Amino acid sequence: MKTRRAGALVFFLVLSVPKRLLSLLLPFSLLSWVLLLLSALSHSGAGPWLGNWPEWTTQLTQAAFVLGVFLYYRYQPSPLEGQAFVPLLRRLLLGPGLLALGCVALHLVERLAKDEPVFSNNSVFFTSIYTLNLGLFVIFLARTNYAWRALVLFRSTSHLQREWTAFEVALGATLLFRLLGVNPPNYIGIPLVVLLGLYGIYLSGHQKWVAYLSQRDKWNAVLLQAALLFGVLIFVQYFRITQVDPQLIAPQPQYAFLLLTAFFSAFYALMGLLVTFFNMPIADIIDQRRNEILRLQRLTQIIQRGQTSAEVYNILLESAVQTVQAEAAWLDLDPGHAGVDASEATFYYNLQPEQANSLRELLKGHELPEGEFITNDLNVRPGFTGLPQAFRSLLQLPLRGLHYNYGMLHLLKVEPHTFDREDLNILQTFTSQAVLSIENLELVRTSLENQRTQEELKIASQVQDSLIPKNLPTDNWFEISSHSLAAKEVGGDFYDFLHLPGRRLAVIIGDVSGKGVTAAFHMAQMKGIFHALMQENPLAKNERDKFPVPSRFMAQANTALSHCLERSSFITSSLYIIDYEQGGFVFARAGHCHTLYYHALREEVFYFESTGLGLGIIRNETYEKHIKNQFYDYSPGDVMVIYTDGIVEARGAGGAEYGEDRLKLRLEESYFQDAESIKSFILNDLNGFTHGYPIHDDQTLLVIKFKSAQPPLLA
Amino acid sequence: MKVTAQPSADTLTLLLDGELDASSAIVLDTELAKPDILNYRKVLVDCAKLSYISSAGLGVFISHLQRFQDANVKLIFFNMQEKVFNVFEILGLDALMTIVPSATEAEAA
Repeated sequence: MKTRRAGALVFFLVLSVPKRLLSLLLPFSLLSWVLLLLSALSHSGAGPWLGNWPEWTTQLTQAAFVLGVFLYYRYQPSPLEGQAFVPLLRRLLLGPGLLALGCVALHLVERLAKDEPVFSNNSVFFTSIYTLNLGLFVIFLARTNYAWRALVLFRSTSHLQREWTAFEVALGATLLFRLLGVNPPNYIGIPLVVLLGLYGIYLSGHQKWVAYLSQRDKWNAVLLQAALLFGVLIFVQYFRITQVDPQLIAPQPQYAFLLLTAFFSAFYALMGLLVTFFNMPIADIIDQRRNEILRLQRLTQIIQRGQTSAEVYNILLESAVQTVQAEAAWLDLDPGHAGVDASEATFYYNLQPEQANSLRELLKGHELPEGEFITNDLNVRPGFTGLPQAFRSLLQLPLRGLHYNYGMLHLLKVEPHTFDREDLNILQTFTSQAVLSIENLELVRTSLENQRTQEELKIASQVQDSLIPKNLPTDNWFEISSHSLAAKEVGGDFYDFLHLPGRRLAVIIGDVSGKGVTAAFHMAQMKGIFHALMQENPLAKNERDKFPVPSRFMAQANTALSHCLERSSFITSSLYIIDYEQGGFVFARAGHCHTLYYHALREEVFYFESTGLGLGIIRNETYEKHIKNQFYDYSPGDVMVIYTDGIVEARGAGGAEYGEDRLKLRLEESYFQDAESIKSFILNDLNGFTHGYPIHDDQTLLVIKFKSAQPPLLA
Repeated sequence: MKVTAQPSADTLTLLLDGELDASSAIVLDTELAKPDILNYRKVLVDCAKLSYISSAGLGVFISHLQRFQDANVKLIFFNMQEKVFNVFEILGLDALMTIVPSATEAEAA
């Protein structure tokens, strides 16, 4: 018991040979074989110089040699490269197979040809040849065994890999038993060997690789496996004959092990041969399926390369034709949706446009359904017989997209009854794939276009930015500070200044209803109207009438806008004309936000309450009745805050609006500062209020502070 | 934003519920653009639940104002919240449109 356990332990240690010992396996095997030869020769009476070796040396060297060779091949890299099954078989047969077979065959022929063998009648010579053949056979078996391992484990699970290792362990055990002299009685030994043989048969069932052979390879594989099988049979025959040869004095080889491995090698080859052979009738279908997969892969790859729509349609037509082996085909596309020009909306295969036209006309006459359709008996339908090529089978298939059909694919064959549902299913996969790729291309195109639009918007934004005055008017009697921020790339808020003769300054602010590009257009228009109307009128009788008063300006602007503003749009605006010489200003409010004002003498902040209708709401001369001028005298230190509703309607937490009251409070707290500081103070508060919430509307804020003409003298 | 139309003999009452902004303005515009709306003598707009109106919302009323006047259909707003009324007032629409405090005045108008 102890020795067996120790033996098993050694065996497992051997199975997990450390890497650096691997390089020793080959010299070890060679040495074992030389010792085996010497041991065998010593028994065959080669000469007294060899002495008489004990019997166990032959057993031991033989076992060591078998073990060495099998382990060497076990740790070689897998002989299978990718899916090169036939080269694997060919290398196996033409390499060790042919060498071993050659030697064995020569020996057999020599022994069988004559009653009295010439050369190997010599016992020493016979033993040498026999030992050599045994060595070659073992190498051949080892190679075959591990080639089969590669095939068994092809695409296998880890479960199968464990089963294979168990098989190796069991085979190794038979080797060990013989070596340790454990010779179980036949009623145990034979069933055990049979059981192992059955296990080998079970493993031989793993022939997945056969499915990956092409038709041509299958014939090659069958022939190569038959040759291998034949080789193993010759060996078996050789050992059967030489075993009983009186010349053989050497002890018998490791029968259980060699028998089992030889059996497994032969049986796997036989199974493979049978599986391959009986696979042939269905190989066509397997080949066809594989080609379908390849074509589908090709279609998919084309999508990824992002080629043109026309190329995708071409590939589709080509793949469809090859897959169902159609004799002619055409593809009609809807130029509105398919992403092609009307001139390229039809693709033909092996068909003249005139033929396609006449077929189209015929089909139209038969009112075929719109969707997938197969007809296999065109020949019995009247009208189709007169065609230049009498097609009898027709398959039609729409290219269905998400929202609409891209076109219709028609495939034709001369033979009747050649299309089936299966063809339709495969082609549907193709068309879906093609449609997917077309939609993908369309997406790429749209996103590029979007990018271009974004670029153009950026330019628009720059153009609009140039419309907003950068250099604020300066004089010693006032200070101005401004701020503007658009909610989108371009906005509908605007403000502008114009110096008028006589130390007067026109200030305009406005807000076009809506946002974005439309609003930006009207904003530019309004700026144009402002500069056009604020021109000096040479016919005016007095100095003050040379420029329109604000109410007159609004009425004229309203008339001008009536022609270009869409019905649901309007503009709110306020125009101020500040007169330093008079120390006052006049303004009109056309529906715009109330002006916030700090009165320095009264130390009071208030909103100007005045009425006035927005521009573009009434589009006739009655508008003037709805707009009024308001006059006001200012004193140094007064502050005017002009803004758009984007400021007071800015939303903060919980959707609350910033509001007029809060704006008024901020001015009460900051009126004594200069215009720039007041603006910053208000904006800081506003930004704190709206922090983290999106801007919904364009924001504009102007702060004007009136000063004395000269800085006050220091006391 | 929800627009509910309640027709009676010669009056159509529109109930506005929610915020009237650019997106919901389309719903209201569809309602006001119906040709048979001009068959009523009065169109009453109940603004009790109208919490906000944007310039786009105002634009819808403005764009239909002339059409209603031409067809002699009275457009009357009532139950308006102060905040919403302010928006009408700032733009000057209070002088142009009939805005009354409650349903009683609206029906009497």
